[in-house]
Parts: sequence; C-alpha cells; structure tokens
Amino acid sequence: MQFAPTVLTPAEEALRAEVREFLAAELPADHRPALGFAGRHDPHFSRTLAERGWVGMAIPPEYGGHGRSAVDRFIVAEELLAAGAPIGAHFVADRQTAPALLHFGTEEQRRRFLPGIAAGEVYFSLGMSEPDSGSDLASVRTRATRTDGGWTVTGTKVWTSEAHNNHFFAVLCRTSPMEEGSKHAGLSQLIVDLHAPGVTVSPIPYLDGSHHFNEVALEEVFVPGDMVLGELGSGWRQVTSELAYERSGPDRWLSTFPVLREWLRERPDLTDADAAVLGRLAARARAIRHLSLSVARSLDAGEAPAVEAALVKEVGTRFEQDLVEALRDAAETELDQGSGSLFRALLAEAVLTSPSYTLRGGTTEILRSVAAKGLAS
Amino acid sequence: MSDDRTMLTEVATGLFRDLCTPEDVVAAEPTGWSERLWTALSESGFPAVSVPEEAGGSGGDVADACALLTVAGRFAAPVPLAETGLLGGWALAAAGLELPEGPVSVAVDRPDDAVELTGGRFSARLSRVPWGRRSTRVVAFAESGGQRFVVSAPTAAATVTPGRNLAAEPRDTLVWDDVELADDALAPAPTGVDTEALRLRGALARSAQIAGALARVAELTVRYTGERQQFGRAVARFQAVQAHLVTIAEEAELARLAVEVAALNARPDPSFPDVAAAKSAAGEAATIAARASHQAHGAIGMTKEYELGQLSRRLWSWRDEFGGERHWSRELGRQLAAEGADALWPRISTGLVGA
Repeated sequence: MQFAPTVLTPAEEALRAEVREFLAAELPADHRPALGFAGRHDPHFSRTLAERGWVGMAIPPEYGGHGRSAVDRFIVAEELLAAGAPIGAHFVADRQTAPALLHFGTEEQRRRFLPGIAAGEVYFSLGMSEPDSGSDLASVRTRATRTDGGWTVTGTKVWTSEAHNNHFFAVLCRTSPMEEGSKHAGLSQLIVDLHAPGVTVSPIPYLDGSHHFNEVALEEVFVPGDMVLGELGSGWRQVTSELAYERSGPDRWLSTFPVLREWLRERPDLTDADAAVLGRLAARARAIRHLSLSVARSLDAGEAPAVEAALVKEVGTRFEQDLVEALRDAAETELDQGSGSLFRALLAEAVLTSPSYTLRGGTTEILRSVAAKGLAS
Repeated sequence: MSDDRTMLTEVATGLFRDLCTPEDVVAAEPTGWSERLWTALSESGFPAVSVPEEAGGSGGDVADACALLTVAGRFAAPVPLAETGLLGGWALAAAGLELPEGPVSVAVDRPDDAVELTGGRFSARLSRVPWGRRSTRVVAFAESGGQRFVVSAPTAAATVTPGRNLAAEPRDTLVWDDVELADDALAPAPTGVDTEALRLRGALARSAQIAGALARVAELTVRYTGERQQFGRAVARFQAVQAHLVTIAEEAELARLAVEVAALNARPDPSFPDVAAAKSAAGEAATIAARASHQAHGAIGMTKEYELGQLSRRLWSWRDEFGGERHWSRELGRQLAAEGADALWPRISTGLVGA
C-alpha cells in the first residue's frame, strides 16, 4: 500500500484559489448544484471552463491541451464537483477518452479529436455495457465485420450517458469471433459517430425521471478503418489497463457533497445529534480525500497504484451513499422531488440516483475482487 | 516521512519486536504492565519524544511521537508511552516543571472528577487515569485564587482504586486528600496549556495507536485467511471473505492518513479540526475493521491467546478514550456549523498544510 500524505504546493494552492474565484463568478448564487460528474450537460459551461485551460488538462499542448499533472486535475475536479458545477458535457471525454486516445490512439486520431476535447466542444460517451453484458464486458456481442474501407458494426449498447447530446462513443465490440479459452481476444474499440446512418439513440428512463442514459442501437453502421482505437484485438487490455487508475478521483466520493452543504445552509441551528452527523461525515470525507489525493500524487510520480485506486473508489462511492442516508435520517422529512427547499430537492434526487454510484465504472463487487487480489499478493 | 522519523520508527519497531511479542502481551495482562519493555523504552528515551531536550525530554515533535505511538499500538504495548511524553511531559515542560523519573499519567477533567487546590494543598478525585497505579506523577489542571495551575501530583500520596479497560490496561481512580504539594509539583499554566489542549493530544495519541493496531489487524487477517482452508481452499478465495479484507484495508489506511495529517500539521501543537476529524474517523474505522476482522477469522479470533483479541480489545477501548466518535463528531460539527455552509468545503479540503 502506498498511500502517503501529501501537501499542495503553493502553485497548486494558487490554482485552487483561481478555480474557486472562477466558480464564484460563473455560477449564479441560486444555481441548483449538480450531483456528481454526470449531473448536468451544459456546453456553454464546458467551453467557458476550457477557455480557462481546465478541460483537457492531461492533454499535451501539441494536441491543444495543457500538459498538467494529475494533482492539478484533481484540484480542478474536486472544486467543480464540490460546487456542483455542470460538467456533464465534457467530463467523460476529458477523464476517459482523452487518456485513451493519448495512450492507444493513432497520431491522426489524436490530431482529430484531442483539440476539440480540450476546447470543451467535442463530447464522448462510453460504449461498453450491453443488455447481456455488464460487469462481464468480455461477453459483448456487438460485432464489427470488415467491409470496403472499414467496418460494419451491428449491436446494441445500453446505459450510454448523454448519447443524445454527445458526438462520439468508443464502442467495445468483437472484431473476430470468440475462440474457446480466450474470450478476451478479438475485442476492439471503435470510435463511432453518434450521428452516423444506422445509429438509433433512444432514452432509457431513469429512476429520477431524468433523461441521461440511452440505448444505442447500431444497425450496419459503417465505421472507417482509421477509427479503430488502438490495436485491433487489444480492446480488452485497453479498457482494463491504465485507465483503471482513473477510478479514484474526486468524482468517486464527492457526488453528494452539495446535499450536505445545502442541509447546513438551511439548518444553521444544529442540534447536538445533527452536529454529530455533520462532523462525522466531514471527518470521513476529509480522510477519503487524503487517500484520493495521495493516489493522484503517486500517479504523477509514475507509479501504478491500481489496488489503491480500487480501494478509494470502493470506499468513496459507498460514502457517497452513506451521506445521503445519514442526512435523510437527520432531516426527518418526507421526500418529494417537486416541492420543498433546495436541500430537500437535492436529497430526493440523491436518494433516487445514489444506487448508481456503486455500479458505474466498476461495481463494488468487481472492485473488491480487484483489490483483494492485490492485498493477498 | 522524514528520514529521521523513518529511522525512529525502524528502531522502535525492532525494540518492540524483541520485547513486546504477543506472548509478552499475554504475560503482562494480569498487571497491564511490562517492566522490561518500559525499561528498554526509557533507556532509548522514547517516552520523552516530543518533550524539548532543555526540559529534560528527548526532543522531536508531535509527528515523531505519533509515529512511535503507531508502532506501540501495532504491538499492543502495555506501557503509558503516550501519557508520559506527548501528554504529561508536554504540560510539565510548558509549565517549567521537571519531568520526573518513571511513567507519568494525566487527568483530563472527566465529568465525575473533582480537583481542589488551596494554598499549595491538593485534594482530588481523578478517575480512569491510564496506568495511574504505575505512574510516579499524575498531571492535572487546577484553579486556585483565579489562576490556573499545572499540578504534578505524586502518586505515592494518593489512594488508588484499580480499574481497567477492555484490554486490561490500567485505568485507575486516584484520590488525594488534602496533600501538601512540594514546590516542584506546581506551576502556573501558560496560555494554551489547558484541559482542552491535553484532551486534544490524548485523542491524537489514541488515534495513532488505533492506526497502528489497525495496520496489524489488516496483516493478520490477510495472513490467516490465506492459510485457513475450508471447503478445500483458502477462505480468502471466497468473495464474501475478500469483502472483509478490502474493508479492513480501507479503514486502516483511512485512519492512518487522517492521523499522519493531524500529526504533521501539529506545528507545534495539534489543531482542533485535524484531531477531531482524525479521532472520529479512527474510532469509526476501529469499529468497522474489528468487526470485519473477527468475522473473517471465525472462532480462532475469540481465543484470548490469539493476537487479534489483544488488538481488537484495545481498539474497542481506545475508540472511547479521550472522547469517542460522537464526542468529536459533535464538536467538529459544531465548529463547522458556526463557520457556515460556504466554509464547509474549504475546511474539508484542507489537508496537509505546507510548512
């Protein structure tokens, strides 16, 4: 285990102050905070943020990005999430797609997509889950077959966030038939234009009534040959390797923080019992933050803290849920999405959406199994 | 960790490994005390780490003392290492009083305590004093004539009623009945040297011990579940058992980092939000990890000879000492509420502060 306490440098502290100042100016005082990275799709906000250099921070300057450290990205992300800023448009492209393109993409793909991502203008979804493939991603059935100049892709992806608003998605699919004993071979990632002919996006109504997730049906969709992300047949390695380290960021423990803050705002005269709830949650959030920040620092040192990252996500996402239930219990109210104060509206939203925190990006069960293997070795 | 602190930790670990084995801890249980270990620690100057050298201490800072206490917690050391230096030694040194030979303990004004100081005569009833019967002096605060004093009360002049925590560590009640204090047993308390500050140090010390014990609990559980065979394979191969291992690792690391940040930020004294957060988180971690570890161990964990019980009984005691989770959560919550909603995030996101 290599969690070590880490101090922010003066430059990092200055960045944090700058982001806070920006958010104070940019977000209206009465804005409804988004809960987590998937909270709200707002291209204007994403572009404004990008103008400040806070999108595509991991992308090198030659591709329009800023070549910043993992800790700098951590600082920006935690400030945005704590404020409940609407980062839903660019966040997945920024956190997941850009590093994948940098690690595995061709030079042409990098030149084509990265500048747009860094400008907060090109948005990606993930195309992994299918109706019969959740945690067991190797079982995906979406198939790509060779055709003149590229591939023809057929299959169905589900839980595709913001596919109705985004531009592309990275589709994990089978490019050669499954062979006995090697189900991880023959998988590839293709970059698919969500507006291409044969692509049908339809909403998956969510528990809280929002339209965030979609089913994306691919019916003989033509994908040009140069849109294979990384090596053909390396899809499994790509989706499970280095990107795993992206698991432990502030988006894994801060999703519900705005609910806590708004509770305190509406209830300044806390009883002793309420104060104990507040103090306990704050103490735990602080401790989890120490862990999460330490992973970012160790990434910058070139280490590969895979087990640590899994632990942070496992404990962080459970904390996000724990916070919601502790506040519900303390609030002694009946939940109603449509009426009541900002706190109560956020609490209602959080109760309805919080089961997803321990599912998305690797379920708690999968993470435990990843972490336990590391602990035993 | 600084090189000096790493070396200190390594030397201390070696010493405890030799003189504080699980068998030694079992043997010490009837008295809650290991003379041999205390002598060795004293010869190395460990009990007085963080007490300035000019005051008769060993020098070093709060983070050094906490690093030592983490090691002591890991080995379930039956000696008042925290009380002698980081707590009692600190108050004595700050008041210009001599650091006595032998163990020192402290009193933090518990609800049923009473202290009276009139013209150098001392009467008090102090309860749950750690290793009270073994200490040469007990450090307490007293008011007299509108002034606050640090009292270095001689244990020899007290009546002792033994008590113990769940791990049989002495937690005694001491009564002084109108005892004349010598000149070297009394001095005005400087600003900032008071019961609150002492309790803060006590809470930090117990958090550090908890962090050390949790690290060992995590190791023991990984080792045991890797060896124990049931249904034809190691029980660690079962997902339900793996979930316990992960929980323990998370809680152990979470507590350790909270303690390290609080200790490193203590320049020179621990801060309230750091310690309140650390004790709250460490106390909760102790509860969760002890439960998970016992579950993963099965019946073997319930035998008194096995090492886990030495640690879990301390975890169940230390989480309550110098204030439990509810106490520190409530106090922290009160401060956060007073600072207001918009100050909440800046407070939570203040971690380790640069020198």
